[in-house]
Parts: sequence; C-alpha cells; structure tokens
Amino acid sequence: MAANGDGMIESGIFESLQRKIDDDSAVKDALRDIVQELEKQGKIRKEESILSRAHSTGSADLPSVVSSAQASIDKEIQTIHKLSETASKQPYYKFNYSWTRQIQDACSSILLCGWLGGFGKGETGQLLTIEDVGGIMGVPVNLKDRDAFHLTIEEYLQALISLLDELARLARNSVTLGDYRRPQLIAQFIKEVHAGFQILNLKNDTLRKRSDGVKYRVKEVEDVVYDLSLRGLLPKD
Amino acid sequence: MGSKRTRTEMEGQGQEKMERFTPMFEHFRAELDEHHDRRERITKASRDITAASKKIIFTLQRVRTLNQPLPLHVWKANKQYHDAIATQFFAISKDLQGLNAWRYNRQITGGCQEWMEAACFQHYLETATLISDEDAAQKLRELDAEGPGIRLSPEDWVLGVYDMTGELMRFAITAMATSGELPTITSPSSSSDAMDVDGGGGRQQRNVLIDMRGLRAALEGLDTGFGPFAKDASMKMRVMQTSVEKVEKALYGLIVRGAERPKGWMPEVEIGGGGRTVEVEG
Repeated sequence: MAANGDGMIESGIFESLQRKIDDDSAVKDALRDIVQELEKQGKIRKEESILSRAHSTGSADLPSVVSSAQASIDKEIQTIHKLSETASKQPYYKFNYSWTRQIQDACSSILLCGWLGGFGKGETGQLLTIEDVGGIMGVPVNLKDRDAFHLTIEEYLQALISLLDELARLARNSVTLGDYRRPQLIAQFIKEVHAGFQILNLKNDTLRKRSDGVKYRVKEVEDVVYDLSLRGLLPKD
Repeated sequence: MGSKRTRTEMEGQGQEKMERFTPMFEHFRAELDEHHDRRERITKASRDITAASKKIIFTLQRVRTLNQPLPLHVWKANKQYHDAIATQFFAISKDLQGLNAWRYNRQITGGCQEWMEAACFQHYLETATLISDEDAAQKLRELDAEGPGIRLSPEDWVLGVYDMTGELMRFAITAMATSGELPTITSPSSSSDAMDVDGGGGRQQRNVLIDMRGLRAALEGLDTGFGPFAKDASMKMRVMQTSVEKVEKALYGLIVRGAERPKGWMPEVEIGGGGRTVEVEG
C-alpha cells in the first residue's frame, strides 16, 4: 500500500489537490486583473461621461454627450472581450461571481446610452433588448447549450432596474434644465417596464428585492409629471 | 358584457402602449421559471441526500471494528438510504450537466459534501485509508450508472474530508468509552512489513488519533487561496482542529484516570519522549 509515513493517506492525494487549487487561483488572479480594469473604466465613464453630463445637458446638445459616452463604452467593450476570452476557458458559473457586478454596470450604461438615442437608436425613450446589448458587447446572451461567457437574463434585468433609477433622477433634472417634455416620456417608459416586471414570478432573491423598488421610481416620476401639470407646464401636443 | 367591451375599447390605446415590453418579459418569465424550478428540484434533492447520508453515518457509528468489512447488519440497515441517495442523484443528474453543473453548485454542494463525508467514513472503517478524490468521484459517478452522472468537485471532496474528521472523533471517543482503548489498525496485508519495522525500532502502532493528526497536518498544509471555497474551508478548519483536540483530551483522560480502571492498564508505560500513544492492552 502506497503510504506516506502514517499509512492512512495515499501519497499524492493532497499534492494533486493543491495543484488543482493553485490552477484555480491562477485563473482567479487573471480574471481579477481584467475585472479591475473594467471597474476602473466604469469609474472613468461615470466621472467624465454620460452618467453625469446627461443630467446637465439639454436635448439639443445631447448627441455629443451620447457619442462621447459611446466612445468610452467602446473601450470597456474591449475589456469585456478580453474577459470573455479568459472566462470562456473555465466553467462559466464557477467564477461569474467575480465579474457579474461590473458586467451589470456596463450593461446599464449601454442601456442608458441607448435610451438617450445612442447605438443607432436615433430617438430617445428606446429600450435596447438583451440581444441588442449582447450584440453591442459582442458576447452571446442567455446561453443554454454550451458553457461559455455570456450575458445572463438576471444581469440584464438588474441593469434595467439601474436604468430606471437613473431615469427617475433624469426626470427631475430635465425639469431643472427647462425640458418639460422628457419627464412624460420617462414616466411612460418606467410604467411600461414596471408592467413588464409584474409579469415575472420572482423568488426571494436580489432581483426580487431590487425590482420591488421599481414602483417607487414610478411614483417619483409621476410626482414630477403631476407637479408640472398642476402648474400648467406640460407641453400640449 | 356590453360594458366590458366598451371599457376594453376605451383602454385599448393605453393598454397597447403599456404592453410594449410584454413579449420580452414573457420570454424572461419562461426562462426564469425554468431556472427556479430546476433550482428548487436540486435544493430538495440535496436536502434528501444530506438527510440519508446522515442516517448512513449514524449506522456506521455503531461499528466497532476498523480495517474490516462492515458487519452485515450495517449493510442491511443502510441499504435503504443508499437507494434513496441513488434515486435522488438519478432524478437531478440531467439538471446538472454542462453549464448547469456550476450554476447550481451552491444548491447541490451540501448534498455532495454530506455524501462524501459518509462515503469517506465508510471507506475508512473498511480500509483504514482515506478515499482519494478520484476514487470518490468515480463512486459518485457510479450512483447514476445509466444517466450522465454527477460530478464531485475537488472542493466538495475536501469539505467532506473536513467533516469526516468529526465522525472519526465520535468513533474514537465512543470506542474509548466502551472498550477503554483507542481503535488501532491491525493490518494483515502489511503485517510482515510492519512487524519488521516494529522489531527494528519501536514504530508505534497506527491508531485513529494518529490518522486524525495526519489528516489535520494535510488539511492545514493545504493552501486554499481566496474565494468562496477558502472561506468554507477556514470555517471547517476550526471544527476539525477541535475534533482532534477532543480525542487528544479524551486520551489524556484515559491515561491519567486509567489507574482507576484496572482493565489492561499498565502503569510502567512511558508517556514522555516521542511515545504519544499508549498501549493500553496487555
């Protein structure tokens, strides 16, 4: 019997196990570097680009904000490609906890950019579908038949909720900028998405908790529209 | 009926607009429902596998021999639980293939670890050796011989081994309480070899505590890195160390108070030096 000293543990068992753990650690290190890069790019985008500037830019100057946002997102997409390549060599769900937050973040930026008329949407108030976002990111979505990097439905829905949070804020800031039409557009959009979330049978998880907050966004924006209508400020079509 | 129609007509315009995203969300609902159902099936199966594995361990704790085939009554008592486990694994093995193997890892890992603990403990009772991760994975694979099988991850193997030290502690302490001695390994297969060593220079006879210390050293030597597995392992590490210490304390008690129990006690036995174990038999 092959034994190492005390005879119970066959030699090599723990050594081969250590090798497997070390291999995983190397993968985690590589992924962490890429995710950190993505995180940094996300922060730069927030500071310099759409997320802040859209709130202080009138509709007329919006196209320039959107195009610079798109340029910054393009850089992130390069990093996402790198992530996709490295992550696809491993079982997707083994490590996806390490990047899912950053991917949600990138996804919600793309959604906002699209809502503002970016990514070829032309007009505001449009929702990019999960397939649209996957196409923009250059990654598959909702994969079921093979094990590779992709964008999940949960990630898309989380990003969609973040978009609503951002739009509720944008509704108020639009009024500040003198744009009284946009809050109505936002109110309609948020109500439609809220109606969509009502269709889902969500379990007690993070998605459920966050989607419960959507109704407060609906109310926030309706309050803005109400304030405007009370004062006769709503544009008449 | 008439009023209903008018209302529908009236709301027709708004309703249509509100339903802009309905098809998209209906698609998501179908996908998420499928995912939740699968997750629930796996969670339930994992719970049943855990319960059956615990019962197997209870029965195994009634075994008093080491390095010998299990008594027939133990086999008979545990058959129903082994069958139940196989049924559960068979029911969910198709849910845990490809992409989904890791997707539901959190749901199934509990069942796999408990199964591993039972398999590892039984293997130790029968052979006085630690089952390797490959052998354990093979054993688990065979439970679903006709299906695609379930994968035992190296992580589940390690965490199962951690838990198994708790069973060794119970086994050792029960044995000490009932027979007044630590279970030792009498290995007929390597007896000539062992006799030579013994004759040569006082090699101690292997017992459960020596094996537990060996396991402790191996587990402590493992660098688990970082991540969820490292967290689980460090939690179990404390429990495992406590188990070893419990047996050490029990053995200390046995030696110190051994004088009060005449059976097989040899007062001239040397405790100092390297002699950490004590021959309590005549």
